[in-house]
This record gives sequence, structure tokens and C-alpha cells, in this order.
Amino acid sequence: MTPDKGRLAAIFHRGADDASHALAKWLGRPAALSVQRLDALPIAEAAAVMGSSDALICGCAMRIDGAIGGLLLLAADDDAGLSLADTLLERPTCTSTSWGDLERSAVIETANIVGCAYLNAICAALGPAGAAGILPSPPVFLRDFPEAVMGAVLMEQTVLSDIVLLARTEFRIDGTPVACGLVFLPDAAGVAALMPSAVDPGAGT
Amino acid sequence: MTAADLPTPPSRPGDSIAIGQIGVAQGGGVLRTFVGSCVGLVLHARSQQATGLAHVMLPSSNGRGSPPGKYADMAVTETLRLLREAVGETPLACTAKLVGGATMFAFQSGIPIGEQNVLALEKILLDLGIPITGRLCGGRHGRRLIVDVVTGVVTVETAGHGTETLA
Repeated sequence: MTPDKGRLAAIFHRGADDASHALAKWLGRPAALSVQRLDALPIAEAAAVMGSSDALICGCAMRIDGAIGGLLLLAADDDAGLSLADTLLERPTCTSTSWGDLERSAVIETANIVGCAYLNAICAALGPAGAAGILPSPPVFLRDFPEAVMGAVLMEQTVLSDIVLLARTEFRIDGTPVACGLVFLPDAAGVAALMPSAVDPGAGT
Repeated sequence: MTAADLPTPPSRPGDSIAIGQIGVAQGGGVLRTFVGSCVGLVLHARSQQATGLAHVMLPSSNGRGSPPGKYADMAVTETLRLLREAVGETPLACTAKLVGGATMFAFQSGIPIGEQNVLALEKILLDLGIPITGRLCGGRHGRRLIVDVVTGVVTVETAGHGTETLA
């Protein structure tokens, strides 16, 4: 691992640690996020990072502005998403079988709380470069094909490059892996803040 | 690097076409892809029972190159080139179908990029005299697109909203 990638990994691990605390507090039970992937990937590979099955996924997307811009996506398979909603709504597991307003609201709030904790910690770890903090948009609920979602998420990054920087984080709740992930794709300004040495200072605008 | 320098994309019937890629097949099978804000461009040559499918992400290459299906301006010409390569010397008369171009996220501002993709493809196809015989574009949801290589019939499943056919 290069020094820059090592620094980047440390920053994202700090984000995952803070997001773990936020998720555990929000759920009222042990929960942890861990960085599963932190890579520069070709577009097609990045598009498949949430899976490539015909089954729909659920989740929330947030546009992030500020010190590290980009798109943040909390996504889960349907069963895991509904199970998360049951936990938050203090219902027995498998109570929720479809996406009503309550279930959607539960997932939206989770994205907001966990996503902001994650990115705020990353900003803090960046030092002065992250001092401006983040400005998240309201989360948008989605239930869609995984590759269609990732294609839309990737669009802004791929205007400038065929390679995208992608961080994917996995969830464990009560020590058990959950089919749920947090994906962050920084935009050009976000990449510059996260990886200053990767940006050519002589490059045109 | 230009599109012509790139390796020929997969062309086996039944191929799943990845984001920004192009697939061409002839004589049988299906081609499939998933699109959200991206657009699936189907070019069908009825006489030769050949079909090309490009997964278009952005409206204009602005001089950038790869992958070949990524940009509307390059995807049309490259799909036509691959179809000509597949059918040999026989004259190629194509029809087009467009699927996708959704606005997946409400926070997208300006003219949504999905809509820009559709507009760019429509203009290019018009300029080339290729008629658009079917389209299922816009909305807020992703779509699964499956095209029958021989007939050019496109089956579209919109996430959570059922299936439609573009004959």
C-alpha cells in the first residue's frame, strides 16, 4: 500500500469508527461498520459493487457538498432493509414485509445519522482541508435495480475519468453481518481533498 | 485512444452489457442491461437479424475516448461499425429504440443528465436518418432491458412498476 493510500485508509477507518458509534446508539444495540473496499476502480467494476442480480435493493442516496463533495449511498437488499426497519421500529423481526412510510422513514434516518457521522469524522481526520465540514442533501429513498442505482451514482465522477475512487463499508449488527453497505464516491473536489498528492497542480480546469 | 483502437466488445448472444459498453449479436439470443439515468441504445438491422446494444452514460465525449459505449456521440457510430462488421458487406438499414434516461435522485439540478442523454441520442439518430421506433424514457426508476437479437423486440421491466414491450 502506498503512503497516500495508507493515509486514506486511516481516514476512512476513522469515519467507520465514528459511524459505528452512531449506528449503535441509534439502534440501541451493538453495531459496527468496517471498510471493506477502498479502491480506484474502472467504471464497470464500480457499477457492480452493490451486486448485479435482478433483485431490487433499497436504500438512500445523499449528495454531499462542502470539504469533501460526492455522493453517499446506503443500500441493502430488501430483507436486510426491512429487518433494519423492524429493529428501529422496535418490532419483531420479519414484521415489515413492504415499504410503507414508516419503513422508509426508518431507513432515511439511518442514512442521515450514519452517513453524516461517517463523513464528519472523515472531515475531522483531514485537518485543515476538512475544516469546512460537509453539507448533506436530504436523503432520497430508493428501491431499484443495483446496477441502475450505481450507474446513476457514478455519473458525476465519470464525467472526468474512467476510473472512480470508491469506498464501501460493511455493517455488522449484534455481531452478525448484515447485507447492507455504505458507499461513498467523492467528486473531483472530494478526491482532491482526500488525495492531494493524486491531483496534478498544473492540470487545467 | 479512439473507439476504433479498442478491442471488440463481447458479442455472444445472451450477453449482459456492462455500463459504458457495447454488445452486438446476430442470428439468435438476447442482449440485456440495466439502466437508470443511463440510456440503453438498441440498433436493430431487421434484414440481417442483427442487433447492437450500447449502455450510454453521458451525452458527449468532448474528445475523450473510452469505453466505447460511454458517450452518446461515440456509442452510435461504434455500434453501427460493429454491426457492419458482424453482417459483412450487406447494406445495413437500422431502426433504433431508446430505454432509460431516468432522473434517479431528486437532488439532481439543471437539465437532468438522463434527459440530456436521450436528447443527444435523438439528435444523432436524426442526423444519421435512423428512425426511432420505440422509446421508454424518463421517470424516476431504473429499468432492466432485454432485446431479442432476431426480432429487435425489447422487453423492459421498470423497477417496481411492471413490464412493457417495445415491438
